[in-house]
Amino acid sequence: MNEHVLRDPKPILAGIETEYGLLVEGHGAEDQIDDAITFVRSYPGPCFVGWDYHYESPRADLRGFVLERLTVDPEDVKYETGRQRGTDHEIRSDRILPNGARFYNDHGHPEYSTPECWSLQHLAAHDAAGERVLLQTAEAFQRETGLTARVYKNNTDFHGASYGTHENYLVRRDVGFEALYKAVTPMLVARQILVGSGKVGAESGKACTYQLSQRADFFTEPFNAETLYRRPVFNTRDEPHARPQDWIRLHVIAGDANMIASATARKIGLVKLAIELVQRGEPPLWRLADPVEAFKAVSRDETYRFPVQLQGRSWTTAAEILESYFAAAEQTLDLDHDLKWTIDTSRALLLDLSSNFEEFKKHVDWAAKRSILETYMDDEGIDWQDPGLTAFDLEYHNIDPEEGLHAALEQMGAVEANPNIEALESLLTSQSEPNRASARGLSVSKYGENLSSACWKSLTFELDGGPIEIELLPDATYPAELADAVDVGSFIECLRGAK
Amino acid sequence: MTDGDRLTRPLNEPGKKTEEGGPGRPDVRKPGGDNELMRRMRKVDPDQAKRYRQRSGQ
Repeated sequence: MNEHVLRDPKPILAGIETEYGLLVEGHGAEDQIDDAITFVRSYPGPCFVGWDYHYESPRADLRGFVLERLTVDPEDVKYETGRQRGTDHEIRSDRILPNGARFYNDHGHPEYSTPECWSLQHLAAHDAAGERVLLQTAEAFQRETGLTARVYKNNTDFHGASYGTHENYLVRRDVGFEALYKAVTPMLVARQILVGSGKVGAESGKACTYQLSQRADFFTEPFNAETLYRRPVFNTRDEPHARPQDWIRLHVIAGDANMIASATARKIGLVKLAIELVQRGEPPLWRLADPVEAFKAVSRDETYRFPVQLQGRSWTTAAEILESYFAAAEQTLDLDHDLKWTIDTSRALLLDLSSNFEEFKKHVDWAAKRSILETYMDDEGIDWQDPGLTAFDLEYHNIDPEEGLHAALEQMGAVEANPNIEALESLLTSQSEPNRASARGLSVSKYGENLSSACWKSLTFELDGGPIEIELLPDATYPAELADAVDVGSFIECLRGAK
Repeated sequence: MTDGDRLTRPLNEPGKKTEEGGPGRPDVRKPGGDNELMRRMRKVDPDQAKRYRQRSGQ
C-alpha cells in the first residue's frame, strides 16, 4: 500500500449500526436466524454482494490483547444446538448499497450500518433512511414468502434479550485506551437524560416502572470487549477498519436506537464533544464510583434529579456532567457548526427538562414515549402495573408509518419531524459526502462487475491482470472526478489519488 | 447517595452550577384528546410484547 501522511480529520468521521428486531408471523426466536437470512436477501434495491471479512477482528482489545473467545448468551446457545449453518457469507448475506452502507444479518437481526459521515445531519438522516431499507425489505419478504414481518427499531424484547445500536467514531490511535475511557464514560452515563429511548419496567435488578435507557439493564462491567453477553458501558473492541497504527474506531454500544432523528444527531454530537476534548482540548475529569451502577441509577431515577455517585462519597448530577463538557469545549476547542448545535440544543433541553416538559418531549424519545403511556393510563384508568404497557413501548418503535406510535406522534406534529420519505429514499442511491463511503458506493453502483469484494477499509477489483486491492482512507476527501470516471481504470487511478 | 459532598463541577475544570437539586420531576400532560395516536394505541394487541422474543444481538 502507498505511503500516506496522516491527517487529523475534522469533523470526526462516524457511523451507526442498528440491529432491528424482527417478528415474522407464526415464527419465534428459534427461527430468527433463518428468517433474518431470508429477510435480508429479499432487499429489492440495487446492491452489491461480496463483503470482505478479511480485516475484521472482534476479539482484539484496545488494551493490547486478543480474547480467546467472545461470550455468548446461554439462551441463544440452546436455540442453535444441533443446527448446521453455512459459511459466513451465506449466513450474514451482506449487501452493500450505492450509498456505501452495509445491510446484513447480524445474529438474527437485520442490521443497517450507515455510510460513514462527517456531518451530524447527514448521519442522522442516513440512520433514518435505514428504516426505509427495512420497510422495503419487509414488503419484498412478504411478496416472496407470503409471511408478514414486523420490524422494530429498539433494543430489547422485554424478556432479557438485547440487541444493539452501535456508534462508531474515528479516533487517533495515540489517544489510547485510558484517556479515551476517562473522557467518554461520564458522557455515556450522563447523555441518557437527553437521548435515551425509554423503557417500561426492568429486565434485571430491582423492579421499576419506567426508565430512560433501553440498554442499562444489560451492562455488567465498566469496560471490556464483549458485545453479546457481559456487556460493558465502554466497549474496548479494537477493530479500526483503518490502519491500526494510526486509528482507533471507538465502538460505543451503550446507546439506544432513536426514533427522533434529531436525538440521533445529538447522541452522536455529545460523544464527539468528549472525543474532541480528549484529542484537542482538555476533557473534564469525573471519577465515577462505579460506571455500571451510575448508568443504571441515572436510567432509573424517576425523581429526574439524576444524581451520580463519585469516588470518595461525593456526588454530582448528570446535568452537571453534561454542562462541564459544554463549558470545557467552549473554553478549549474551536467549535464547528455541529458541536455548537449539540451544545446549544442540549443546554436548551436541560432547561426544558426542569421547566417546560411539553417542549422537552418533542425532542427526546424517552419523554415522548412516557407521555403517551401516561395519557393512555389516564384515559383507560390503568396504572404502571398493567402488563399491556410493554406492548405500547414496543409499538413506539414499529417502523411501519401506518402502525407505529412514534410515527403517529410525528404525523400529529407532537414530536420533531424527521426528514421526509422522498429525501430518505434518495439517500439510498446517492453519495452524501466526499469521504470513503462515497468511494465505496460509487464502486458498487458503477463498477460492481469489476469488483470482487469490498468492506469498510478496502475495495478489491478483479481485472485482467489479477486482483487489485485499493485502501479506502478514513481521513481522505475523495475528488468529485471520481463520479465522472469513464472506465474502471481511470476510476481506480482516481481512488489512488485521494488525499 | 446524598450523604457525601456534592460536586457541581469536575475535579479539573470550573463549571456552571445548576439550580439546587437538579431538574424536578416533569409534569407529564396529555398530547390532547382522541386522535390518530389513541386510535392506534387501542388497536395494539396487549399481548404483542409477550409474544415478542428475540435472539440476543450485540
